[in-house]
Amino acid sequence: MHLTGSLQRPVNFPGSSVEMSQGRVRIEGTELTVVDLPGLGSLQPISPDEKVTIAHLRGDDGARPDVICAVIDASKLSVELQFVSELTSLGLPMIVALNKNDVARAEGRCVDPAALEAEIGIRVIETDGRSPRGTQLLGQCLVRDEPACPKGLPRDLIEEIADRLQAQSEPRRTLTTRLDDVLLQRWLGLPILALVIFGMFQLVYSGADPFVGWVEMAQGWLSGLVEGGVGPGALRSFLIGGLINGVFSVFVFLPQIMLLIALIAILEGTGYMARAAFLLDRTLSRFGLSGRSFVPLASSFACAIPGILASRIIDNERDRIATIVVAPLMSCSARLPVYVVLIGAFFPLAWSGLILFGLYALGIVVAAAVAWCLRRTALKGGQSTLLMELPTYQRPSLRVVFSQVWIATREFLILAGTIILATSVVIWLLSYYPRPEAIHAKFEEQRRSLAATVLDPTQRNRQLDKIAAAEAAAFSEQSWLAHIGKAIQPAFAPAGFDWRTTIGVIAAFPAREAIIPTYGILYSLGDIDAGAYDLASLDKPVEEVAGLRSVLREARRMDGRPALNPLIALALMVFFALCSQCVSTLGAIRRETRSWRWPAFTFGYMTVLAWVGAVAVYQIGSLMGYGLGS
Amino acid sequence: MASQQTLDEVLPGCTICVVRVEGDDALSRRLTSLGFWPGTAVEVVRRAPFGDPTQFSLRGYRLALRRSEAVRVIVGQAAR
Repeated sequence: MHLTGSLQRPVNFPGSSVEMSQGRVRIEGTELTVVDLPGLGSLQPISPDEKVTIAHLRGDDGARPDVICAVIDASKLSVELQFVSELTSLGLPMIVALNKNDVARAEGRCVDPAALEAEIGIRVIETDGRSPRGTQLLGQCLVRDEPACPKGLPRDLIEEIADRLQAQSEPRRTLTTRLDDVLLQRWLGLPILALVIFGMFQLVYSGADPFVGWVEMAQGWLSGLVEGGVGPGALRSFLIGGLINGVFSVFVFLPQIMLLIALIAILEGTGYMARAAFLLDRTLSRFGLSGRSFVPLASSFACAIPGILASRIIDNERDRIATIVVAPLMSCSARLPVYVVLIGAFFPLAWSGLILFGLYALGIVVAAAVAWCLRRTALKGGQSTLLMELPTYQRPSLRVVFSQVWIATREFLILAGTIILATSVVIWLLSYYPRPEAIHAKFEEQRRSLAATVLDPTQRNRQLDKIAAAEAAAFSEQSWLAHIGKAIQPAFAPAGFDWRTTIGVIAAFPAREAIIPTYGILYSLGDIDAGAYDLASLDKPVEEVAGLRSVLREARRMDGRPALNPLIALALMVFFALCSQCVSTLGAIRRETRSWRWPAFTFGYMTVLAWVGAVAVYQIGSLMGYGLGS
Repeated sequence: MASQQTLDEVLPGCTICVVRVEGDDALSRRLTSLGFWPGTAVEVVRRAPFGDPTQFSLRGYRLALRRSEAVRVIVGQAAR
């Protein structure tokens, strides 16, 4: 609301806000606390978010409101007035904010606020969700006047008032009607929806691609600076491999997250999301979910945490839990950088959209299967309701879109950033130590004999670089991290993972994106056999991290075979698509289901499915000849 | 009095009048608060691709209901 300057979404779709949010504003010297509540249809709640609102209105949570500001939709005057009349039974002072009158005006059905005020005996102020106009007036009214406690009105009178004040629009050839005729057309509706969703992902991928390159470049430049300024040793290694690596791994896919959230917010703001839910309700219900599951699941494509939170709009408890438990399968934005790096490294650009779409589709298909099973076993019975309004199509408020992107970005940076940074530092520590003197001494020996025998400076430098690479490799091979990776690697061998990829997978468990900096650490600190590099690459300092994609392509195992190839990359992506690797999400599940059972179950089933999926992909692909061979 | 039927039986393209809402549970209360009052004109706009849910138009806005929800609304041709 423009009152506080902080923004909530205009309520045009069920579940636009599922939590109370509060803000303070100072108007003409008086400080007001404004509480924004989830939308309500009547005083009888049907879903958890409505219960929140009613509890607050009744003062159950300790703080009874002083004034209720009922924001009503001008295009549904009679229905809204009925609800306002119900609200008067609470015995609180009230003001009415007449919203969306501009939309009604466009349909020839606008309402005169003064006339309405005269009829119902409650102060009416016209507002517009997309501009501050009217909000100032609202604020002043709240401060200056003493809103009265209004009396309720019988329904007959309400209908009469509504008829008097609002012309019924005649032929319904409004823009909304015409758009719906196409977008909801029997044969066109679903294909158009599929196109929209596919287009969205293609846009995110191609829109983000240049950013990935820029960030990698920036990282390389910064690492180069440290290179020059700090001498070799633990500090330099920590700065480049731990700190810079960790920080940039968070930045590198920020554009993708922001773009995806923005697109979803824009789509929701236009009113199209409700149409999508309308088209998909039958399908979702077949799998034991609800049409109302669409918004939580769609949000989960950006991040499962707000998606799981949004499940409060689902009134049936079992539908709700099923939605929560499969939400993490919607490939979230944290998986996107993993996909982007691997697809970019191993597949031609022309295939990228298709593979990306396939990975997202995989998550959806598996989610449908899991939900179906759950609703037939552990979560049997009952069904939620739809009862969903299809709002008028409108231009989304860019201000609201920006605000949503900003809020999500900020939360993501704080939450994931700390975990990923911490993970990077820990991984770096485990990969850098121990550093036995014996190994160092051995290579010093080699350097000394080199200085004595080879005189040509160019050749000597080349050899020195080779020795440095071999030394880094030797240290890396006996690090704590290597021990852990090698111990676990047999479990992932059937999927074609080598020990470094195994470590990357383990490191990704607290937060998926952590595999990127982990790869950076593992492949920069430990280039394997010096023979794997051609002479040209030896000119670069061994610890440079830029260009992860090319590094992954060229990396080799101990026996000389490639560490990764397109098939293994695919198996790895399938693993990430299906695996539960986000502590924050599990925490959200625990909070929303109020038990440890469901997060534990989610973690378990997803990890098992991920392993099975990755192994299946690699084994079947190997049979077809795409594996590494022995 | 014209014949009565339930809302889910009405074909797309028709406009009928609400007689009453059946039942006394949360669903019927919610249907009432959504504007299905006796005498209200409801237009059946279209069905979703698989036949469910259905889009209705009443009291100036558009609403989607499932068959299991629409069946609660008793409708008829009675003029207001």
